[in-house]
Amino acid sequence: MTTFGSIARHAGGWLPVIGAASLLGILGTLALPIVLGRAVDAIVSGVDGGLWLALAAGLVLLGVVVDLVDAFAGTACVAGTTAWLRERLVRHVLAAGDSGRRGFETGDLVGRVSGNAAEAAQAGPSLVTVGSAFLPPVGSLALLVYLDVWLAVAFLAGVALVALVLRAFTRRTASAVTAYLTTQGRLAGRLAESLAGARTIAAAGTLERERRRVLAPLGRLHEEGMRSWRVLATSAAQGAVVGPLVLVAVLVTGGFALHGGRITPGELFAASQYALLGAGLGGLTSVFARLARARAGAVRAGEVLAVPVFGHGSGELPAGPGRLELRGVTVRAGDAALLSDVDLDLPGGGSVAVVGRSGAGKSVLAALAARLRDPDEGVVLLDGVPLASLSHDALRGAVGCAFERPVLVGATVAEAVAPGAAAGDVEAAARAVHAHEFVSRLPHGYHTPLASAPMSGGERQRLGLARAWPAARLLVLDDATSSLDMVTESRISRTLTESGDRTRLVVTHRQSTAERADLVVWLEAGRVRAVAPHADLWTDQSYREVFA
Amino acid sequence: MRREIRYAVGSLRRGPVVRLVGWSVPEALPAAASGLVVARAVDDGFLAGRPLVGVGWLVGLVVMSAVGAVGTRMVFRRLGDLAEPFRDDLVRRVVGGALRHAVDGRGDDGAVARLTRQVEIVRDTYAGLLMAVRGFVVTVVGVVVGLLSVAPVVAALIVPPFLLGLVAFVGMLGLAARRQREAVLADERLAAAAGSVLAGARDITAAGTEEHAAAMVAGPVREQALAERRLAGVAALRTLCFAVGGWLPLLVVLFAGGWLVDRGLTAGTIMGGLTYVLFGLQPALQNLVSGVGGSGLRFVVTLGRILDATTVPPDPAPDRRPTDGHDLVLRGVTFAYGPHAEPVLRDLDLTVPAGAHLAVVGPSGIGKSTLASLLCGLLRPDAGTVTVGGVPTAELPPDRLAALRVLIPQEAYVFAGTVRENLTYLCQDDPADLDQAVAAVGAEDLVARLGGYAGEVRPAELSAGERQLLALVRAYLSPAPVAVLDEATCHLDPVAERRAEEAFAARGGTLVVIAHRTSSALRADRVLVLDGAGARYGDHETLAATSPLYRELVAAGRPAVRL
Repeated sequence: MTTFGSIARHAGGWLPVIGAASLLGILGTLALPIVLGRAVDAIVSGVDGGLWLALAAGLVLLGVVVDLVDAFAGTACVAGTTAWLRERLVRHVLAAGDSGRRGFETGDLVGRVSGNAAEAAQAGPSLVTVGSAFLPPVGSLALLVYLDVWLAVAFLAGVALVALVLRAFTRRTASAVTAYLTTQGRLAGRLAESLAGARTIAAAGTLERERRRVLAPLGRLHEEGMRSWRVLATSAAQGAVVGPLVLVAVLVTGGFALHGGRITPGELFAASQYALLGAGLGGLTSVFARLARARAGAVRAGEVLAVPVFGHGSGELPAGPGRLELRGVTVRAGDAALLSDVDLDLPGGGSVAVVGRSGAGKSVLAALAARLRDPDEGVVLLDGVPLASLSHDALRGAVGCAFERPVLVGATVAEAVAPGAAAGDVEAAARAVHAHEFVSRLPHGYHTPLASAPMSGGERQRLGLARAWPAARLLVLDDATSSLDMVTESRISRTLTESGDRTRLVVTHRQSTAERADLVVWLEAGRVRAVAPHADLWTDQSYREVFA
Repeated sequence: MRREIRYAVGSLRRGPVVRLVGWSVPEALPAAASGLVVARAVDDGFLAGRPLVGVGWLVGLVVMSAVGAVGTRMVFRRLGDLAEPFRDDLVRRVVGGALRHAVDGRGDDGAVARLTRQVEIVRDTYAGLLMAVRGFVVTVVGVVVGLLSVAPVVAALIVPPFLLGLVAFVGMLGLAARRQREAVLADERLAAAAGSVLAGARDITAAGTEEHAAAMVAGPVREQALAERRLAGVAALRTLCFAVGGWLPLLVVLFAGGWLVDRGLTAGTIMGGLTYVLFGLQPALQNLVSGVGGSGLRFVVTLGRILDATTVPPDPAPDRRPTDGHDLVLRGVTFAYGPHAEPVLRDLDLTVPAGAHLAVVGPSGIGKSTLASLLCGLLRPDAGTVTVGGVPTAELPPDRLAALRVLIPQEAYVFAGTVRENLTYLCQDDPADLDQAVAAVGAEDLVARLGGYAGEVRPAELSAGERQLLALVRAYLSPAPVAVLDEATCHLDPVAERRAEEAFAARGGTLVVIAHRTSSALRADRVLVLDGAGARYGDHETLAATSPLYRELVAAGRPAVRL
């Protein structure tokens, strides 16, 4: 089923209510002018118009009730569907892991969750309104024909003229708006520059000069803005001339019909209202635009939902030392192979460095070991069990992964390290990676909101390490200490060695880190070039060049 | 809401407003005449057997539309006279506020979006609001005049219910604004939560915290849906107000119809009255309700956010005490980033005499940059004093501080402009020794590649190292006797770094280097080693003998390597 269809279907029970309300409302709107006309005729001719008056009041009341139903049912339907779709999108991205974001910028994803989801949620109601949007103009035209066929002819001639004018308007506005936006972009660019240099500006005391520099294009913006108003003024004036022509054309034609006795005064009055209602033909574009937006929103939501989710097995991990094996593993990106036919058997409990030039496949190997992605071919095993067969909790309890640029998620520092964990555990993890010192210097320590905790790259890395720290059997560090100074790095490395016999898989560019490892995996162009201790490899000139 | 309305009303300048209202009079002519024209065309023309008279009245309406169109044209032009200066003020305010907050160390990511998106929303809704309110007032006045000229008794029937609806609508605006604000805030919270979770999808998978992350978004999603539903209540209230103000007058006239005819009113008159309601009052009220209720609320909420974000505190009174020399002295300096935070620096004493060359070393994140900010007067110590030439730095006005010391931060500031403009940014007059400075710092090749001093700098096209070179030349040219390099050479290779540091050492005056590599310490004549617990101060030999941390840093060879 298409995303559009499933979203429309989710609106479910609300749609008949919305549809019925909208249909009733339109029928009432179409009936009202005739009823009002009859009421006027009755009043003028002095006969009893009680029935028509009651009917008119009833129709007005119906319109109000329908509007109220539409306001509540429409909103409830759209708000509910939006919330459902948003949660579904977020959960899907999370379940798809690293690949869930592949090809999507974060900003783009946020746009899809916050903006597109709300548009897509209009799917059901917009289908209903498109179905009923033809009724008012078509009905008005039909009723004009019913009153007097010449009324309809006059009406159509007037509408054609209005349409021509509106077309020209859209084109002229577009060019004026573009020029305005270009100037505005220049101003914004200057502001962004100055903000990036805030510390220099603060020290140099040149705030006022910067203000003048950023605002220099403002005069130009003003002129472009005035130009856009002039374009708008011309178009609006044309609209004001041609707008009443439809009404006048209908009134003149109707006047002669009245004079000729073909219609009554009340019918002339009704005709003038149908002219107004029928001119709502332009409103059809907005109805279709709404449907088009709902479709586009559904497509954009669908693109996210189409990313494959990787599931988890239900297996548990048997006791073991943390031995990591890759058997015949190949990973591709499009046509290119990131890793080709890699076989590795890494003993448990030791530290293994992964080295190689950039693009050699180090991070892909780390992602496989931490099961952030699955190989296209082959299998990754921990203590003899394929990672893919483990349950979510078994996998994440056993394997931890820290990154070069960790993204911290949570309301506070403590939550970013371990959501829901006891304060003591969070502090223990932070102490282990030498993060406790700087965390306690933050305005509210571990309870400092992340948003108000400015951190350097090295501080972020340490919190990322603390987050991965509790892993019981395998710790994957993907260049995760690159921003730390050598002293801190070696202290952390010491704690790591002393903290038990977990297997450590450490992607690194640093010679000193490779030296400390029990074993080095040397990758080259997606293949394993060698697996040996650093000292053995060091005799090889091309190995030494990896660290150059 | 009051503050925003005050701000908007305060922005209305008398001249353009008078002209705007003046041109609104011809613009309202067609609406004001419509009912009268219909009444006359029917009574005196079509029903009186003189159809040409009827046509004449209707042609008159077309002529009046043409006059109205001239009014419309002028109204939109005059609208620009109000909207553009209003936007200009907001742009100035946003830019000034953003820069001011940024130099105070409270920069936020929203400033550029505020400039491009929010200011435009306010500009458009401001214009829309002016049009709606002005159009409403003029049309209603025109319609009432028209009604009175057709039949005063009809006016007496129509106006009271219309006013009732209007008053009810105005009465509910406060509630509507509150709900609208809630909805906007809910939207922003949702976007922020979704942003942080989606940006961290990889990390969430790795940590296995998918449920926690989903819950972080689920809360704001539900709150946003609730806020939308609460807005539906406001829409319903608006519908009711329109029913009272727009439809009740029509029904009143109809029900009083028999009585009106008994009093001698004609078919044309009654049709004219109904025409005024349907074609004059209803559209006017509809435009007001959607204009004020829709874009008006958007206006108030968005303007409120701009005003919140751009309110800046007044400048403190500057200290006019004269400085004596430029010795830097710290006495018992303690600094923490919050009342509950562990201090970054505790009880630090330090004297950097004029002309000294000091290197500050220590592990990353230990507070070296904080010390640089304190030395330069960008931060105030919580306890103790930092003085330059005997006067506390935090009390000196920016221009006097700038004449005493220059800070080159790690993130070099380069702006779109000529190379010369970038290099002479800190100079009062055009310096004669530009070539010498460029050569000393080692930026000749860069300047030549950029097309000489007149070449245009495009910041985005420069590497981090190139930006640092430009910033170093600029600082070298500054007349300030004290130079503070806060990892200002971290993107240069060791050779280029050495050349730049030696140039500053030979420049004369005091040099403080927040060291990125330990080699910087070896070049300095005194070294400050910062360690969480305390600080040690001395020359290289003394520290190598007494500080284990210093020995460790020197042994590591390349401290604070950043990738």
